[in-house]
Amino acid sequence: MITRRLALAAASFAAMIYAGAAAAQTPVTIGAIEILTGPNNKYGIAIKNGFDLALDEVNKAGGVLGAPLAIAYEDSAGNKDQALNAARQLIGGKKVPLILGPTLSNEMFAVGPIAVERKIPIVGTSTTANGITAIGPYVFRTSLPEADVVPVTLRTAKEKLGVKKVAVMYGNDDAFTKSGYDVMKAALEKLGIETLTTETFGGKDTDFSAQLTKIKSLNPDAIVVSALVEAGAGILLAKKALGIPDSVRVIGGNGLNSPQVPTVAREAADGTLVGSPWFIDKPDAANQKFVAAYKAKYNMDPDQFAAQAYDTLFIVAQAIKDAGAANPEKIRDALGKVKHNGVMGPFSFTPDRDPADTSGVVVIEMKGGKFQIFK
Amino acid sequence: MPEFIDDFLFTYQTLVYSLGINGLLALSMYVVLALGQLSLGQAAFMGMGAYVSALLTVKIGAPFLLVLLAAMLVPALAALIVGAPTLRLSGVYLALATIGLGEVQRIFFLNSELTGGALGLSGIPMKGGLVSIYGSLGLALVAFIFVARSKIGRAMEAMREDELAAGALGVDLPAYKLAALVVSAMLAGLAGALNAHVTSFISPEDYGFHAAVSILSYALLGGIGSPFAPVLGAFILTLLPEVLRSLADFRGVVNGAIIVLVVIFMPRGLMTWRMGRIGASTRRPS
Repeated sequence: MITRRLALAAASFAAMIYAGAAAAQTPVTIGAIEILTGPNNKYGIAIKNGFDLALDEVNKAGGVLGAPLAIAYEDSAGNKDQALNAARQLIGGKKVPLILGPTLSNEMFAVGPIAVERKIPIVGTSTTANGITAIGPYVFRTSLPEADVVPVTLRTAKEKLGVKKVAVMYGNDDAFTKSGYDVMKAALEKLGIETLTTETFGGKDTDFSAQLTKIKSLNPDAIVVSALVEAGAGILLAKKALGIPDSVRVIGGNGLNSPQVPTVAREAADGTLVGSPWFIDKPDAANQKFVAAYKAKYNMDPDQFAAQAYDTLFIVAQAIKDAGAANPEKIRDALGKVKHNGVMGPFSFTPDRDPADTSGVVVIEMKGGKFQIFK
Repeated sequence: MPEFIDDFLFTYQTLVYSLGINGLLALSMYVVLALGQLSLGQAAFMGMGAYVSALLTVKIGAPFLLVLLAAMLVPALAALIVGAPTLRLSGVYLALATIGLGEVQRIFFLNSELTGGALGLSGIPMKGGLVSIYGSLGLALVAFIFVARSKIGRAMEAMREDELAAGALGVDLPAYKLAALVVSAMLAGLAGALNAHVTSFISPEDYGFHAAVSILSYALLGGIGSPFAPVLGAFILTLLPEVLRSLADFRGVVNGAIIVLVVIFMPRGLMTWRMGRIGASTRRPS
């Protein structure tokens, strides 16, 4: 028994010395919880790609605190319990000083309180629902909430297209599309645009003819839609099939802001208007460089989730450098002060840990299967 | 050293809680399956318990014990109302009707202002813990062991093997079926309430068809020979995705493959011992 204890002590002593020697090379590891498997993994994978691309650049430029930066990914599979397990794994097991993600707002509502309890900053890159940062003083987000983007889109549609009366459709079984709708409703009221009818659908629905037939009979100037890609594309196809004229535009929330919409809806997608915190053809040099690097590495076009993740990693790396140590409390304080000029435009946090600057928002329209800046 | 233990507990806290809660759900499935009834309403009753308890805690601030009681009584009442007409059905027809119950409830949660719609309810205080979860699971297991060894247990087994014969022998079939559904609803409601009070967030999607099938699979994997079997199934199905975490991209594939292999090679479940023997030999519940 004694010998065994002695051996154990010797082994742990040796491990300590080894750890001390290796400390200079040990990477600073932050955690990330994303949906890497399951039906919603296209979001998680785009985000991971964005992180990894930025990570390469950060490490090529010398990393942080004299060591390389590393990301420990955990899969949430889009499931609340698994996201919680992943967060506990990262905080309690891997001892990360900061967590990126999770992908969905629903997951953040479950994971956020854990991070706050342990005083670990957590930075959502794609969590746009209302009330995310209200979870607690360690919850940040870099994605512009719909509340900032949608009013810009609707105001542009009103000014440039003379939209006065609209029909609204939203997916009522998803936190993202539901809170998108709440924002649309408020913005429409504020702009004095009349809402003729509000129709709902489920995110997995494939038949929208009942809602659209009713909408067609009301003759709106435009149809405002809060939907994710699959349902959104289905609505566009059904709208075309029912013969609703092309002059009646679909004005979408962030869910329709995806290059996958035209691959499903094809020419039916033409004319769709969305507001975006980021756009692939934004002409500035930083964005062009990002798009080229992303295409070279992954052989596909980046989407806004990748762009938001890409910017976020630079913001986080800057915060770790400013903090001077991989200490959660110091990183949190530093995050609040970071100013970054990234592919989404100028970025800083409000005192409530939301993005402060909406000047990067662009309104884009679908033409010939591609988004372009709406003029 | 204490910090190390603290970190360990923190890391596996949700998992340890999930094991107990899913064990309760497996028992709620066991009660109906033990009578040969295929009901898929457990997820709905779980959601009912979760929402009732969360609303009571968040809006009124009721004491936790009272909240748990309400989370059992409301689904029990619902089971009484729903049970009377649906228990005339059997086999897949009962399964379909109970899926319908879950869908109706899901759509109600999505459209009601009170339940927060698709955004669900967040910020539920963490009131559940090891004592409430494993205390409930332990009590339920002990109760089931006593029931299974009594006259009621023999009647249940007779119904499972041959309903007509059991009825001819004087077993009050409708009463047994309704009682089983009510107990099942109470257990599921309790599990829902405990889950809501350890994960701090609930949304309608947590209690849909997917959840119903998960709960059924606990009992299918474990077997229904004794109350321990479905709990074992729940433990394994809850642990697998976390144990396989290191496999990253292959996690889902391996997880699925293990389940398929078990179902093919052990169609009666992992634990096929019958209750009589288990009750006699197991003094210490595992």
